[in-house]
Amino acid sequence: MGVTLLKPYTNRAWLGVLPVVLIVAFSAVVPLMTVVNYSVQDILDFNSRFYVGLQWYQQTLNDPRFVDAFVRQLGFSTAVLVVEVPLGIVVAKGIPRAGKGLLTPLLLVFLAVPLLVPWNVVGTIWQMYARPDIGLLGVLLNNWGLEYNYAANPLDAWLTLLAMDVWHWTSLVALLAFAGLSSIPPQYYQAAELDGANRWQVFRYVELPRLRGVLVIAVLLRLMDSFMIYTEPFVLTGGGPGNTTTFLSQYLATMAVGQFDLGPAAAFSVIYFLFILLFCWLFYTSVMATDGER
Amino acid sequence: MARISLDQVCFHYPDTSTNVLDKLSLQVEDGEAHALLGASGAGKSTLLNILSGLLVPTAGRVLFNGRDVSQQRGRARKVAQVFQFPVLYESMSVHHNLAFPLRNLGLPRAEIAARIGDLTHSLGIESILTSTPSRLSLFEKQLVAVAKALIRPDVSVILLDEPLTAVEPRIKWRLRQVLRKAQADSGVTMIYVTHDQTEALTFADRVSVLTEQGILQTDTPQNIYDSPRHEFVGHFVGSPGMNFVPAQILGLGAQQTLGFRPEWATLCNPPAAMSGRVERVRAQGTAKDGPLGIMRVQTACGEVNIRGTITHQVGDEVGVQVQRYLLFEDQVQVGGGDFA
Repeated sequence: MGVTLLKPYTNRAWLGVLPVVLIVAFSAVVPLMTVVNYSVQDILDFNSRFYVGLQWYQQTLNDPRFVDAFVRQLGFSTAVLVVEVPLGIVVAKGIPRAGKGLLTPLLLVFLAVPLLVPWNVVGTIWQMYARPDIGLLGVLLNNWGLEYNYAANPLDAWLTLLAMDVWHWTSLVALLAFAGLSSIPPQYYQAAELDGANRWQVFRYVELPRLRGVLVIAVLLRLMDSFMIYTEPFVLTGGGPGNTTTFLSQYLATMAVGQFDLGPAAAFSVIYFLFILLFCWLFYTSVMATDGER
Repeated sequence: MARISLDQVCFHYPDTSTNVLDKLSLQVEDGEAHALLGASGAGKSTLLNILSGLLVPTAGRVLFNGRDVSQQRGRARKVAQVFQFPVLYESMSVHHNLAFPLRNLGLPRAEIAARIGDLTHSLGIESILTSTPSRLSLFEKQLVAVAKALIRPDVSVILLDEPLTAVEPRIKWRLRQVLRKAQADSGVTMIYVTHDQTEALTFADRVSVLTEQGILQTDTPQNIYDSPRHEFVGHFVGSPGMNFVPAQILGLGAQQTLGFRPEWATLCNPPAAMSGRVERVRAQGTAKDGPLGIMRVQTACGEVNIRGTITHQVGDEVGVQVQRYLLFEDQVQVGGGDFA
C-alpha cells in the first residue's frame, strides 16, 4: 500500500506513445483527412477555394462513367476470386506434403516466383506475349483459327487481364492453402479413411473446414488487391478498347492527374475506400457469423 | 470382431536398417481388452500403425481371425481407432459425426438412427447430439470419438492410442470407466496402447509389456504384477517398482538377482542379513494396526522400498526381512519362493 502512495503521478508515459502517434498521424490520418478535406471543396488555385458540401459525392455517385467502372470492377474482382481460389486449392493439393526430398521446397520457390514480379512488368510481359502480330500466344491463337486481338475485342482484353492476374496471384492462394493443408494432423486422414470416406468427402469434411482460416485471408487479400487493379489494364490497353477495361483506379487517375479535378477525385477516393472497407467488412462478418452458429 | 495375431512381425523404416520391431509375435483373443504397455521409444506407435494398416510389416504376418491382412489397408480390415486427441469432423454435429461411417457403409436410415440412439444413451451423451465439436469440452469430444469407434456394426478391433492423454486428470477415470464398460457391453476386441501402467493394469484383461527388445511378457495384470518374467517388467510395473538386490546377500545363487515387491518384506530391528538406515517415510493411509506407507531404506546394495505398517522412523537403523521373492538370472525370472 505504501508503495503506491509514494509513486509520483505524472503523465510522462504519454511521451512514450508519442512516436507512434506521430508516425500514424503523418502516414495515415493526415493524408486521409487531406483527401476528405479536398472532397468537400472546390479548388480553383492556391488562394481561392470554396466549400461545396457533398456536391462532389453526389456528382460522383450519379456519374454514369463511375457506375460503369464500378460494375466492371465488381465483375473483374468476382472473376478473379472465382478462378484463383479454387485453382489455388487445386495447386496446393498437387504439392506433395510428406516428402523429405527437394521436390516440395523447389515447387514452393517456383510457385513464389510470379509474386516477385512487379505489376508493370507483368503487364508488359503479357502485353508482348499476347500481341496478335508478334506475341507467341497471340500468334498461336490466331493460327489456330481463333480471332484473338485484345486491342480490338473487349472480351479478349478481359480474358487477357484475367489470365494475367491469375498468373500473377494464384500462387499466393496456393501457398496459403498449402500452409493450411500442411497443418492438418495425419490422424484426421487416417480417421477419415477408416470411416470409409472417399476423396471428395475427405476434402469436404476434413480439409475444407481446416482451410477456412487461410482461405478467409486469401479471399480478403485478393478482393482488396483486385479491387485496386490499375497497372495491368493501363499497360495492356490503357483501359480500352473503348472504356471496357477502365476500372475504378484508372478512372480515378484520369480525373486526378489527367484533368486535375481534385475535388471530385477526392470524393471518388473516399467513396472507393469506403466500398473496399465495406466489402471486406461484409465478407469477414458473414464468415464470423457462420462461425458463431457452429 | 476378431482374434488378432501377429506372427513374427518385423519392421524397419525405409531409410534405416535397424528393426524397430524384431520378430514380434502376439495373440489377442476375440473380445479381449488388451493393453500394450511400454515407455516411449519402445515401438508402441509403430506396432499400432501396423495393426491399423498404416504401415506394412517388412516381414511376418498380421492375421485377423486367421486371415492374413498384412497387405490390407485399415479400411479393409474394418479397424476403428481412437487417437490421443479427439479426431472429429469439426463442421458436422455430433449426430452427423456418428452417422458418417454408417452412411458410408450404406446402412438404412432407420438403423443408423437406432444405433446412434442406443449408443448415445448407454454413453450418456444424448444431450450433446446436436452440438458441433467446437462447443464441447475435451472430455466430451473424446467421448464422441470413442462413440464413433463403437458405432460401427462391422468393426473387427478398436485401437486406442493413449486415449486419456488429452483429458484432464480429474476426469480421466470417468473416461476409462466408460471405455471399460463399453468393452464389456459390446464384447469388441480392444487394443489399448499406453505408457501409463495404472491405465494398462486397470483397463485390460491382459497386458503386454513392450520394450525395444520386443514383448517381454504378456499376461493378466495380476500375473504381470506378481510374477514378472523379466526384471524390466518388475521395475516398470508397480509404484514404486520391484526391489532388486544381489541374491548372495540372502544366501542364494551367486549369479542371481533377487526381486521382491515393496509389500513382500517388513522391517525389523538389526542385526539382519540385509540392513540399512530409513531415509524417507511416506504415509499413505491407516489400518487397524497403525499408519500405512512406504519406507525407503538405504542399504549396502542400494535403495529398497518397503510398503506396509510404518514401524520405524527416518534415521532408524533397521533390518529388512524378505518374506517372498523371485529370482532372476540375466534379467530373466528363473523362479521364486518364500522365506518361512
